[in-house]
Amino acid sequence: MFKKILVANRGEIAIRIMRACKELGIKTIAVYSDADKNSLHVKYADEAIRIGDSSPKESYLNSDVLIRAALDSKADAIHPGYGFLSENASFAGMVASAKLTFIGPSADSIRAMGDKAESKMAMKKAGVSTVPGAEGLESEDDFKKAAKEIGYPVLVKAAAGGGGKGMRVVNEENELSEAIESARREALNAFGDERLLIEKYLPNAHHIEFQVFGDQHGHLVHLFERECSVQRRHQKIIEETPSPLLTPELRVQMGEAAIKAARAVGYYNAGTVEFIFDPILSSLRRGSGQAFFFLEMNTRLQVEHPITELTTDLDLVQWQIRVSAGEHFPYQQEQLTQHGHAIECRIYAEDPSNGFLPSTGKLLQYIEPRGPGIRVDSGFTAGDEVTHFYDPLLAKLIVHAEDRKTAIQRMQAALREFVVHGVVTNIDFMQSVLAHEDFANGKVSTRWVEKTLESDSLLSNMREQAPALQSLIAAALADLTIVNRQSEIVNRNESDPYSPWKSPSGFRIGQ
Amino acid sequence: MKITFDTQTLELTPSGSGKSYRVGIGDRTVDVEIIHAESGKLDLLIDGQRVTAYVSSDGARRWVTVNGQTFVLTKSSDAKRRGAGHDHASELAAPMPGQVRGVNVSEGDVVTKGQTLLVLEAMKMEIRIQAPRDGVIKKLFVNQGQTVEREQILVEIEES
Repeated sequence: MFKKILVANRGEIAIRIMRACKELGIKTIAVYSDADKNSLHVKYADEAIRIGDSSPKESYLNSDVLIRAALDSKADAIHPGYGFLSENASFAGMVASAKLTFIGPSADSIRAMGDKAESKMAMKKAGVSTVPGAEGLESEDDFKKAAKEIGYPVLVKAAAGGGGKGMRVVNEENELSEAIESARREALNAFGDERLLIEKYLPNAHHIEFQVFGDQHGHLVHLFERECSVQRRHQKIIEETPSPLLTPELRVQMGEAAIKAARAVGYYNAGTVEFIFDPILSSLRRGSGQAFFFLEMNTRLQVEHPITELTTDLDLVQWQIRVSAGEHFPYQQEQLTQHGHAIECRIYAEDPSNGFLPSTGKLLQYIEPRGPGIRVDSGFTAGDEVTHFYDPLLAKLIVHAEDRKTAIQRMQAALREFVVHGVVTNIDFMQSVLAHEDFANGKVSTRWVEKTLESDSLLSNMREQAPALQSLIAAALADLTIVNRQSEIVNRNESDPYSPWKSPSGFRIGQ
Repeated sequence: MKITFDTQTLELTPSGSGKSYRVGIGDRTVDVEIIHAESGKLDLLIDGQRVTAYVSSDGARRWVTVNGQTFVLTKSSDAKRRGAGHDHASELAAPMPGQVRGVNVSEGDVVTKGQTLLVLEAMKMEIRIQAPRDGVIKKLFVNQGQTVEREQILVEIEES
């Protein structure tokens, strides 16, 4: 087993990984940029190394500096987390060349799946159905021709992409040119690769993904699905498992397809096969053909991995580390089952009433909910600064309960106890989604947030009248009591001859 | 004592012991008792109903959470509110803090509604600042590569 692991990431995921290391008796090394000098992940680690300026390119995306930090600190392995270099095949290769272990799949698997164009071709060859589209296009005319063939709306997305970055929905031809240009720029900036592909945009689709897990001895299983259809700007905000849409038969079919996909690229460690699932198509096609399409494979740990952990009782990060050290994964597919229902809400520093744009600032208060079946994976604490350099994820709130209904109730209660002051968050917005009948009925497709915000009063329904009045009263009394308390202290000091505040001898607190 | 947040003015009058107040808002009057007060947190009895409120202050802003809902209120000083006078020009402000990635127009350019004027980037996300209507670029306040704060004025458009 490893003695020391360098965690090449920041925020909640760095802490999540270090926690698993500590449980396994492995020393941890944090890395940090200037903006993260006082971050929680730095304080949580056994050692911390500065890797550069605040900009990601100068720090968390700088392969050379990260590998040097690992070698200098005598680490045996590097865990990349998610985002940053986690799906960068050349980084995985460089780690191996430096005689360190990359905690994740092989560089070849990352390369094969990391390129969305090539992975689609590989999946077609392996007999996994894919979304209609075209790869390897260069000129704007090529894109125009392909889009016409597929039929609008189409999706233009980065071949090297992920996490909704470098991705644009194009409704008609005159939007195509600017979409290509901005997707290219965003792709180049986020992934250092500007190639794009184009595919049919399925507006009623659900996003259902399967967790796969394998060891380096050829054993590969799936750990069931995650329904991730509540999205804004193509990024997930609420995930749950099991999916309210899957029948046991579909679950088996999709699980088998996920394993087939992973096996086609010789996959080991934790990975996720994402499918687009169309429930309307599914009811039409019952018994004849499939209504799910391979979308992409994420060759890393996912943000939403905790809901799988809670429903399978497995610690995915510990197992990532253990199989990277050569251990066998001991469970056969038949031994694996799902227990109860789990939901994750991603608590973002963003303003739903301002187009979900990020909100930055200092956390004046930060109080997490607690209780049975509640888990919070977070990277911030009161007093921390939320900067514009990185993803605005503050924390992941995850609940586990016996069934979907009780899990939703548990989440609603937990969200009510989550207090964040200093940055605007999406907590109130999460409440209005969870309370919506479409969510209760499992009818939320990937475009639901966008559509509901346009047509429905989802945002204006967010506020109740009574708390608004109570909040005004509380704010007024807070101002009053702060003033009163200060005068009380002065008065008490006057009547206390032994008070250190009054002493002329120069006594100071903290000396 | 009077305190104003946003457009609402509250009148607080101590009643009974020092822990009770009579609060007037508009034509309503509410009896409030402070059960417990500590830094950032108040336990109150508002018209007989128990309420726990978390309150933080940040300049004139007050962050208040009651029953899971968070409100951002602005405390008004006695100074008059800035007039909302409009001329024929309109200013576009940054919707989020970030960096100017691209400036697509120059001063004096004629622009059409929906045209992308500037591109901002923050947290690896790209935001296009588009013209709200047809007009002429009167003034550009930022350069490519510049870091901007939220609400910072980026460009001014004049009716053509």
